[in-house]
Amino acid sequence: MAKGIDIGTMNIICSEKEDGDIVFTQERNAFLELESSDLTKTMMDSAQVLYIERDNVVYVLGEDAFKFATIFGKTARRPMKSGIISPNEKDAIPTIKLILERVLGEPRYRNEVLCISSPADPIDTNMNALYHKKMMEALARKMNYKTHVIDEGLGVVYSELSEYNFTGLGISIGAGLTNVTLAYLATPVMSFSIGRGGDWIDEQVSITTGLSREYVCSEKERGFKIGLEVEYGSAYGALSIYYDALMTYIIKNINRKLSEITPPKVEFPVALAGGSSLPEGFLEMFERKLREAKLQINISNIKRAKDPMYSVSKGCLIAARAQEGEEIGHEEVTEEIV
Amino acid sequence: MDSNVIAQHRILKHGSLIYYAGSAIFASGIALFAVGTAFIMMQKIHYGSEPEKIFLSSIFIGVGATMILTGMNMMMRQTRYGYHLIGAGTFASLFALLVFTYNYPQKWYYPLINYVLALYVVGLLVLVGNAFANVVLWMIEGKPDTVMRREVQRIYTDEEIERDIEDATRKSIELSASELIFKEPYAKDVKYGKIFHEKRGTTTRIKDNLDEVTSLVKTVNPGERIKSGSAEIEGASKNLLDILRVGSVKKSKSREIKDKIVDTMERFYSLITVKRGG
Repeated sequence: MAKGIDIGTMNIICSEKEDGDIVFTQERNAFLELESSDLTKTMMDSAQVLYIERDNVVYVLGEDAFKFATIFGKTARRPMKSGIISPNEKDAIPTIKLILERVLGEPRYRNEVLCISSPADPIDTNMNALYHKKMMEALARKMNYKTHVIDEGLGVVYSELSEYNFTGLGISIGAGLTNVTLAYLATPVMSFSIGRGGDWIDEQVSITTGLSREYVCSEKERGFKIGLEVEYGSAYGALSIYYDALMTYIIKNINRKLSEITPPKVEFPVALAGGSSLPEGFLEMFERKLREAKLQINISNIKRAKDPMYSVSKGCLIAARAQEGEEIGHEEVTEEIV
Repeated sequence: MDSNVIAQHRILKHGSLIYYAGSAIFASGIALFAVGTAFIMMQKIHYGSEPEKIFLSSIFIGVGATMILTGMNMMMRQTRYGYHLIGAGTFASLFALLVFTYNYPQKWYYPLINYVLALYVVGLLVLVGNAFANVVLWMIEGKPDTVMRREVQRIYTDEEIERDIEDATRKSIELSASELIFKEPYAKDVKYGKIFHEKRGTTTRIKDNLDEVTSLVKTVNPGERIKSGSAEIEGASKNLLDILRVGSVKKSKSREIKDKIVDTMERFYSLITVKRGG
């Protein structure tokens, strides 16, 4: 049957096929530490809060961690930073494992194919995604999945550019990183990531306005519209400015990387995805900037994913099912030969 | 050695033989043509000259012209029926000359002259037409063999070698990392909350048949085995055609024409450069 999973800095989203539907199961990639007591645990159980207990400490997981952080005036801890396992968080891997177990569930059969999205190495920070990738693979393998890893950007290409024979530029603007893949006939020509995403916007807005990052993030996710008309003192003005800055930064870096390669002489469509591409007005602004930038490749059209949040996960599911189909094909051929 | 490489070598060897034979025929044709021209000038041939002299000069020029065109055609890369056309053209011209030799001067009257001349001209036109068509096709679609051979024997730069080493190192690291087994000392101490195993998280259902999977498999494996005569052949051909047409994905007509002109000019320039070089 196969599954796909997008392990992002903010959300972990699993996708699988059920009858004629794709079912996406998601959880926030966050946790919060609370002191353990019987009363706390009883209250949490009755309020259906997702938590675990270890060494007399309660760890609230997922979306509830953000809610509790707001109530208690704390900051939710994040197991991932800038798209990879956070090096500053000692509980990062056990927490990701717990969320993964919950979101993925048991495999339907041993060695069910699971395609995992992984960030490409960033070009603007001294970071390497290999450790993160291998850890995620190891965690999934331990759950008896047969793993297969693709770049986030390629996930967008698989999900959104099938009508162009999987040729084009897939851009996933996530919380920690922005991943870019230029693909030609489903084969990545160039893959890289940029160390800025939604979190960078939250941080900059928080620094300049004095508002907390959690508040900025919630305002951003609550139907924020990129535009020029804003109220004094609201987060919206700063959000618009930093969205503009992020887009400029992304496009400059894409152009820089494109100048290092010789892409095929075709026109490439562009697909945008990722949680940070959700605000209204994002596509229009990005398209205008991309056209003005005069990229090293010819751009045919620019589109936003139908479901930007689920695009990478869906791309992983497509890759997983294609891989599974191939494996079945190989087995059939082998049987024929025998 | 890989069977593809062996086949490629065989084709190249065969191609070289035809090329050299063509060169020899071309050179002989030039020589005959030159001799014929020199003969006309030296003997001052005119309408009233002796029939033997007119016969000889006609044969030299006629055979020379045919050999020049045959040789030129053989030196070119041919299309599927190219060699058949060369054979037919050459045969027509030489046969016309043979008829001429048997009938000149005693039986050299109209309408026989018309037939013989027509046959000779048709033969020459077939050869000229075939050569012209090949040159045009080559300029539009193909690459000169010389350029292709140069690509096969290209020398790797330091940068490319470094990149290859980096790739190999990376693959090796990935392989060793895959063999790691992780211990979980904390796992047994974990107590799960009540709802942990009750549901898997927030779920969203979207109606989607996931047709992209089939497209992806076909794009990645365009050479998949299909039974001969099956209905899938039509689909596979369409898919292959789509892939080949990727170059024109949403491409505007004017841009297409511009690209074609630039491409043709570049190829023409590369041909001139190659010829001058060697």
